[in-house]
Amino acid sequence: MKKLVSTLLLLMFATQILAAGDIEKGKLTSYTCTGCHGIKYYMNVYPTYHVPRLGGQNEAYIVSALKAYRSGERSHPTMRAQAGSLSDDDIANIAAYFASLK
Amino acid sequence: MNKIVLIISLLTTGLSFAGGNPVEGKKKVEQVCQSCHGMDGLGINDTYPKLAGQFADYLEKALTDYKSGERKNPIMSGFAASLSEQDIENVAAYYSRLTVDKLHDLSIK
Repeated sequence: MKKLVSTLLLLMFATQILAAGDIEKGKLTSYTCTGCHGIKYYMNVYPTYHVPRLGGQNEAYIVSALKAYRSGERSHPTMRAQAGSLSDDDIANIAAYFASLK
Repeated sequence: MNKIVLIISLLTTGLSFAGGNPVEGKKKVEQVCQSCHGMDGLGINDTYPKLAGQFADYLEKALTDYKSGERKNPIMSGFAASLSEQDIENVAAYYSRLTVDKLHDLSIK
C-alpha cells in the first residue's frame, strides 16, 4: 500500500514536471521570436499595429495562442509559419520562458 | 536641432494621446471585461491573457477581429460584439495604461 501511494505521488509530480515547460530551453527556442517581439515598438504592417508585448505573458495563454497559430485556427501568415515548425514541447518551453520574464 | 525636438515631441504626443479614453474605458471594463481579465489586467487565471501594459492598437486589433469573427473564440466573440468601436478604443486605452506587473518587451540576448 505504501509503495502504491509513493508510486502514485511520484507519478503525479513527474507528470507535473513533464507538463511544465523548460525555461532554459524556451529561452533558446524563442531567439527567433525576438526578431519581431524583441524590437521595441516594432510594427506589424498591413494592417498596421504594434507587435504585441510578450514578456510576462501568462503561460497557458501563450500555449493556446501558439497552438491556434500552428493549426491555422488563428490566422497570421508570419505567426503561422513560425508556430508551424514548433513541437508541443517547444511551445511549452517558450511559454514557460515568456511567463518567467517578470 | 529644433526640428528634431519638434519631431520627437510630435511623435510622443501622438503616442500618449492616440486612441481612446481610459476613464470611459474603465467603466466598460468594470461591466464587461473584468470578470475574466480583472481590473488589474492580469487575468483571473493562466489561460486568460495578461492585458496590462499591452499596446493599445494591438488590443484594438484583437477586439475588432473578435467582433468581426476573423478571430474566433466563443467567449470573446460575444463580449466583443457588445462593444462599439469607441468602446474598443476606450477599453484598449484603459488596459494599455496599467503599470502594475505589466507586460514588457522581450529583450534580444
